[in-house]
Amino acid sequence: MEAAQVNDEVNLISKTYRFFSFADYSVQVVVLGVIFMGMGCGLMGGFVVTRKLSLFGDTLSHAVLPGVAVGFLWSQSKNSISIIVGAMIAGFLGVFLISLLKKTTKVSLDSALGLVLSGFYALGICLLTRIQKMEFGNQSGIDRYLFGQITGLSNQDVWAMGISCILIVLITTIFYKELLVTGFDQGFARSIGLPVDLIQYFLWMLLAFSVITSLQVVGVLLVSALLIIPAATASIITQKMRSLLLWSALLGMVAGVIGSYLSFLGSQLPTGPLIALTSTLLFILVLFLHPENGLLFKGLRLRGKERKIALENTLKAVYQELEWNKFSRDTVRLGNLAKRRRISMPEMYQEAIHLVNKDFAFLLPVKDKTLPSENTLSLSPTGWSEACRIVRNHRLWELYLTNEVQYAADHVHEDAEKIEHVLGDETVRKIERILSNPRTDPHGKLIPSQQDIEQGYIDKMIAKNLP
Amino acid sequence: MSKTLLPLEVHDLTVSYNRKPVLYGIDLEIEEGGLIGIIGPNGAGKSTLIKTIMGIVPANGGWVKIFGQKGKNSYRRVGYVPQRESVDWDFPVSVLDVVLMGRYGHAGWLKRISKKDRIIAHECLEKVNMSLFADRQIGKLSGGQQQRVFLARALAQESDLYLMDEPFAGVDAVTENAIIELLRELKQKGKTLIIVHHDLSNAKEYFDQIILLNMRLIAYGDVDKTFNKDLLQKTYGGRLTVFTEIADQSAKNEHVEHESK
Amino acid sequence: MTEFFPPLDFSDTFWAPWATQKDFAWNAQIVGMGIMVSLSCGLIGSFIVARKLALMGDAISHGILPGLAIAFITTQSNALFPMFIGACGAGLLCSFCIEWLHKKTPLKMDAALGLTFTSFFALGVLLITQMGNNTHIDPECLLYGEIGFTPLAESIYWGSVEIGSRPLLSIGLVTLVIILTITVFYKQLMVTSFDQTLSVSLGLSVRTIHYGLMLVLAITIVASFESVGVILVIAMLIFPSTTASFFFTRMPAILLCSFPLSIFYSFGGFFLARWLDCSIAGSMVVVAMVCFGIAWLLGTENGILTNLFFRKRTILDHSN
Repeated sequence: MEAAQVNDEVNLISKTYRFFSFADYSVQVVVLGVIFMGMGCGLMGGFVVTRKLSLFGDTLSHAVLPGVAVGFLWSQSKNSISIIVGAMIAGFLGVFLISLLKKTTKVSLDSALGLVLSGFYALGICLLTRIQKMEFGNQSGIDRYLFGQITGLSNQDVWAMGISCILIVLITTIFYKELLVTGFDQGFARSIGLPVDLIQYFLWMLLAFSVITSLQVVGVLLVSALLIIPAATASIITQKMRSLLLWSALLGMVAGVIGSYLSFLGSQLPTGPLIALTSTLLFILVLFLHPENGLLFKGLRLRGKERKIALENTLKAVYQELEWNKFSRDTVRLGNLAKRRRISMPEMYQEAIHLVNKDFAFLLPVKDKTLPSENTLSLSPTGWSEACRIVRNHRLWELYLTNEVQYAADHVHEDAEKIEHVLGDETVRKIERILSNPRTDPHGKLIPSQQDIEQGYIDKMIAKNLP
Repeated sequence: MSKTLLPLEVHDLTVSYNRKPVLYGIDLEIEEGGLIGIIGPNGAGKSTLIKTIMGIVPANGGWVKIFGQKGKNSYRRVGYVPQRESVDWDFPVSVLDVVLMGRYGHAGWLKRISKKDRIIAHECLEKVNMSLFADRQIGKLSGGQQQRVFLARALAQESDLYLMDEPFAGVDAVTENAIIELLRELKQKGKTLIIVHHDLSNAKEYFDQIILLNMRLIAYGDVDKTFNKDLLQKTYGGRLTVFTEIADQSAKNEHVEHESK
Repeated sequence: MTEFFPPLDFSDTFWAPWATQKDFAWNAQIVGMGIMVSLSCGLIGSFIVARKLALMGDAISHGILPGLAIAFITTQSNALFPMFIGACGAGLLCSFCIEWLHKKTPLKMDAALGLTFTSFFALGVLLITQMGNNTHIDPECLLYGEIGFTPLAESIYWGSVEIGSRPLLSIGLVTLVIILTITVFYKQLMVTSFDQTLSVSLGLSVRTIHYGLMLVLAITIVASFESVGVILVIAMLIFPSTTASFFFTRMPAILLCSFPLSIFYSFGGFFLARWLDCSIAGSMVVVAMVCFGIAWLLGTENGILTNLFFRKRTILDHSN
């Protein structure tokens, strides 16, 4: 048992070494093949996904199956050329049928895709099962074309993949502008005299190339994974077409190499599903961990924002509490603040700690620990100006809504609760100008002025309480 | 507090679409038995308002009461005529099928359509002059005919409050006259009809009351009080720049908040 | 060297399957299975197509695969109930993932759909290929089904009385459930499919009906995939109603059309496969495709010939 485990480990390491040293001829062929494939499919996928044609790609990849079968039947051997020609014709017929169905009938697009996809696929299955029963058919093996089997990759196949990949790279670089324009705005492209339909068919042809040459590796059923997933991943990383294409090609290649490495490790592991799952894994990683657009960091940033809002609300509550006392005291009780903010005492205590950590306030604890609500809080100068700013935003916005937008006074508060946190200095000044520097809000309360902020709280308190 | 329940009461309704605010703090209290037009420029949120009332578009704030009720059950007394573009005209139903759908609420869900329902449906088709087309697939009608079918369906619903989204759009003059006659007839029976309308030229003769809308409620009241140059200019005139700017910002912020939930 | 098209031996193809009692019992089960699969799929598919959910059906049929595989690995049998739970779980997870990706990420619907179902499918294929050859499900079975092996399936007993073979029984049950569901909830299905706003004003929950329909779809796919494979199921869902829509424009007629069509698909596919000695399920879909082609050509509603001859009239029709 133990020996077997050690053996396994040695096996794993030696296999890894064998794979990544590229010493084996067969490994060289495979790696070269998947790199070509990943690049070609990744590039094409970038165009397909941004044009919202992902499912066209899926349909096309299923539709080539009868062509593969007929090509095989024609040459009665695994001749790449006749299979590629057959698959091309079938793929085009499929795409043509979809557009014909769309033009002449009321069958909706999704049904048309489904019809062609499943119909052609069924035809292919019939032909392939029939071929299996024929004398020369044994060498074909249906699984090959359906799931892909990388070990059987021949020199000729890699040549075909290389040529199609180079063609794709060349053509997409030369016609980059045209492809971009037709993808983004067909109407505009037509108006500047571009042959939109021709370019569309051109794109289909390239797509068919990359699909057909990938069949050997990933199979009919999973080519679409290679088209869609790297491009979708790239679309999360970037919104610029050029870098999207580059990322998509890169991700396709990485997924191809890792997937084929994984399938190299076992004896019975199918390559297609492993490559597809590797790209899915890459997608998940990017979706969550991408520094800018990843959901994890977005979530963290969001929490930061929420925390800021909570902090600002507490500051506002402190101000209101001070105001309620007519600015005669410089401390407020946590119990009163909790009531104002409608949160529990422990939550309020947490908030108070946040304020203290931000140097917005000082916490003056009571000796009797059983009465947490008796703890008091006093604002620091920065805390005071921050509190004034928030209250000013709130009341200015309320006033703006009532005076300029003619809101009823009982509508404005809820709105201002949200707006106060997003108003920038510039907008505040604009509003002040429109309202010609008002002093009171619609409910008759004083709007804290710039002077209040500069003066600081202690001075205000003293000024207020002087006779 | 009013003695009878108002057909429609809207309070502080706020809606945003894709982070862009569409409606802002709408207040409405609509009395029973009137023909009311909603008027405003393109993108003013007219359709959104009635879609939100119907609960098709979710609101970001505020509430709607229909005959004093909120939420799902309140829609039972409402007949809604959708915009023509929002209907799938290739759907495999005939004209009669569509009108019969209006009777589903009355027939009970697990029961079959009764003979009485069929008679009513035929009567409604008769009223809009569409009896001849009862067996046609709905896609094979002209724009005006399609509109009449949906009107017939609303009639078959026998609702108390009707909300109609541009029933006169793409309709010929004859049909338009027929429709307005029918609407007046309904009003006589004490029904309340709220109609989204975009044609200013005939608004005054069609409606008793008018709701002027442009993101917010500009005015609501009797035609002779609301249909004047000042208010119309306010409705169709420039927007409040700071307001839209900030509203945009707040909508973005709301969206972020929304995502966190 | 055999020819691709063997000579058509009339009696061998059409008569021999029914000659002896044993052959008859064997082949009747296959044809019966085919009829029920295409009938149940055709009926539910009419609503799927009308709601423009054809690709959702596609996604779900791919998406159930890992669920089936996991259910099989954990129970080591292909008992109906665990398979059903696994498949429905995976199908719902798949549709949930699609919706989540669509809403929470910048991905468009088509990319979200394609990404999710290919990933699920890849996982399912990987799991199934790792289960070895001793199992009942193998890659071929998911790709084009094993309807020909229907008579080999084990029987289900009620006490000591044999009721019938498992796949036949389960598809029979599913067909019954679908017919019942459609007759009982016909109005709800129609209203929510045609006009969501009307459903709201009638107090119907569009969501409930949608998920109910998705559940029935998942059940249908689970009961059918063993016979026709996960991809040909899509054909069975879409072909009958789209074919019928070239002749009929009302839902009840389209639904009724599923009956003769499914009988025709099943017999046609059976004979074609017998003649060419190829996949029966594949042949059934090829027959369906031929029927669709004929309907497209000859159909009274938007058929190619009708459009050619009556174009003038339709233009006039639309202008008034």
